[in-house]
This record gives sequence, C-alpha cells and structure tokens, in this order.
Amino acid sequence: MMEIQLVINSINYKVDIDVNMRLIDLLRDKLGLIGTKEGCGEGECGACTIIMDGESVNSCMVMAFQANGSNIVTIEGLENNGELHPLQRAYMEEGSVQCGFCIPGMIMSTKALLDKHPDPTRDEIREGMSGNLCRCTGYNKAIDAAEKAIEYLKEGAK
Amino acid sequence: MTLNHVYNGSSIDNVLELLSNNPDSKLIAGGTDIIIALRNNKISPKVLIDVSMIKELKEINQIEDKIIIGAAVTYTQIVDNDLFSGNLYGLYKACRMVGSPQIRNKGTIGGNIANASPAADSIPPLIALGASLKIGSIRGMREILLEDYLKDRENLGLKDDELLISISFNKPKDNQILSFSKLGLRKALAISRITISSLIGLNSESKIDSIRVASGSIGKFPMREPDVEKSLLGESFDADTLSLAVKSLQDSMDKRLSGRSTLAYKRKAIESLLEEALMDSNMYYSEVKL
Repeated sequence: MMEIQLVINSINYKVDIDVNMRLIDLLRDKLGLIGTKEGCGEGECGACTIIMDGESVNSCMVMAFQANGSNIVTIEGLENNGELHPLQRAYMEEGSVQCGFCIPGMIMSTKALLDKHPDPTRDEIREGMSGNLCRCTGYNKAIDAAEKAIEYLKEGAK
Repeated sequence: MTLNHVYNGSSIDNVLELLSNNPDSKLIAGGTDIIIALRNNKISPKVLIDVSMIKELKEINQIEDKIIIGAAVTYTQIVDNDLFSGNLYGLYKACRMVGSPQIRNKGTIGGNIANASPAADSIPPLIALGASLKIGSIRGMREILLEDYLKDRENLGLKDDELLISISFNKPKDNQILSFSKLGLRKALAISRITISSLIGLNSESKIDSIRVASGSIGKFPMREPDVEKSLLGESFDADTLSLAVKSLQDSMDKRLSGRSTLAYKRKAIESLLEEALMDSNMYYSEVKL
C-alpha cells in the first residue's frame, strides 16, 4: 500500500492505494465513483475516459500511483450545484443515449475538447470523440448534442 | 499484476539509480502499451518506475540545427508544437494518427521506440530523419542511430538497467520535406498495416537530389528501404519513376515476407501507400514552397 494525494472533482483526497491499482480501480472500487465505466481495459473503447490535468485520458491506462498530485474530473464532477452541465442536458434533449454505457466517457472526451477549443467544427467534434466507441447509436445524435451544448455554453458565457 | 513497489521517478539520475538497484523493474511513461502487458502477465516485474513527470524527459528543444525530443514527450506534445509543421510534417502526421486523443495525451515517443512494435508509427519518420537515440544507465551514456538499434536489438537494445533519454535529429534542409502515409483498418484506434515515410529533397530542376525512405509493418521491424531510394535518386516525380519505386519495394517485400499470408494484400496495398507518401512531398513543393 502507499498513500497518494490528488484532487478529484474539486475535492482533495488523501488515499491509500494498492500499487497494482489502475486509476479506474481507484475511482470505481475505492472511491465509489462508478460513473466511469470499464469497457475493454485496453484503451480501445474510451468508456473509461476522464479528464486528468486538463487532458482526456483512458483511466484504465493510468496506474493509480501515477495520479499522485494530479487534478481529475470525472462525469460526477460535471454537475454544478445540482444543475446538469450543458453537455449532459444536450445529450438528454437530443436523444443521444441508448444503453448509456459509452456516455460518461463520450461526454468527458467532448468536454476535454470544448475546454481547449470552444468553437470546433463538426469534423473537429468527431475527431475529439474518435477514441470513444458506441455500439448502440451510430454517433450522430451525440455529435448533434455536442453542437447544441456549444450553443448553450456560448449563451451561458454571455 | 505482480508489483510489490512503485516509484514516481523525480529525475534522470534518480531513475538510473532505481533501475540499478531494482533488477526486476520496468519503466512506465504513458502506460498505453505496458499496462496491457502487465495485465496479460506477458511481463511480471516486481517494481514499476514512473518516468512520465521528469522535466528533462518532457522537453522539446532546438539547438542550432539539432532537434532533441525527450523520451517522455507525448504524441499530443508533438502535434501541438509548431516545430513540426512545415517540412517536418511527416512526424506531425504520424503522431496525429496514433490511436485516439486519449492515447495521444499519454503515449510517448520513447515508449513507442522502447516497446518496439513492428507497427510503431513514429519510427519510420524518425528513421527517415536519421534520428539517434541517447540511452543512459549508471554505467554512463551511449548514442546510437535508431536505424542500427532496430537491426540488432538483441545486442544493441535497451538493457534492463537503461533508460531511453532522448531522440535527436538534424532539422531537414529547406529543400527537403518529410512525408508519412499509413494504412489502417479504420480512421482511428487502428494499428498500422503498412506505413511509409520519406525525406526527399528536390533541386532547382525538380529532380530528387536526396532521399531516405523507411517503412513500418512490412518486416520484423521498421527499416530503411535502400532499393526504393536507389530507384528514385536523381529522378523527377512522374508515373514511370513511381512504378519503378513501387516495383523495387514489392521485390524487397517478396523476399522479406515470403510465406506470410499478408504478403499478397500488402504488396498490392503498397502501390497507393508509396504513391501517397511520395506525392505528399511533391505537393508540398508545388503548393507551399512556390
């Protein structure tokens, strides 16, 4: 066991971890943040995507000890005082969710893109989501939701 | 996984000491290859040493004509760095086509080389650039051409106590352009089936006065293609020279991949791959340089 310190969804954590743990194991099994899903465990599907130090990463491909000192945002961190994030709202409104398994990862990838590029083209949105696989929906409604969320975020910024 | 102890490496010297004191240890940077190997028990070290946060390994520097990339530089860092637009475009393109945004944010150039998959995407452009590796241990430093390193990894490869520190190459001349083309089964999250990279210089008569060509996934490791280079040196870009270049590469592949079930597919596919890589260079000249 070893102790690490990190910030998750704006909360400071000091946790004991097993050295064999991946970040996804820490988030789900140790801290109960089960919004992040494990689809493949190989970095191929993106269901486990979270934002680490401002970048989208597959949490199944990061060892927990490597996250010492880092700033993590998971899907649980998107709500603001009980209000859904514009991306979450847009996904619901556009009907972008079927089984839901890929969704937290897909939203986190899109958020990571919008944090860096607030006004992407549709192609750039697709590129930002290119590491997230969905077996249900065919992706189009998720891309529509991203475009809607961009408008919501622009309105909110005014 | 079988780990007993893990370390967050604080500096190059710290890592070299840890490697020397822990014979059953492995290094981790982005983790995108090694975590899979650990979970599949392909390797079972007792100790893991993280090098992903060591400042000197994460720098991209230019000293006069030499560009030095730290081994823990991520694909995203390369894609975002202006140094690799312009005539180093092939390296930018190779890094940009790796995996997915999540993989590019963590995966490193050094990891790509150390993991040494025959399909490693950053390696053909680095071979075309004539890149060298700087490798260190507590016993000292050594430098080796990437091209030579790959040919004899049994003797020249990374030893258990060694750390890949940086990759360096000379900036191409103004009349040279680095290109890259990749064949994968999808547009993203695709392992390369074939990659081709070329560093080509055109003289004032639009004839090729310098050429280096490297391939990936069509041999045991990414390698130079001297027969293709010979067929193109001194020539200009036209349909005839292109067919000659394709033929010479197909001949080399027939020898190297003889008996492999993928040969028929790859020798057909190479026609358009080689054309794309070479025509990229030609396009750069007509559209950008003039």
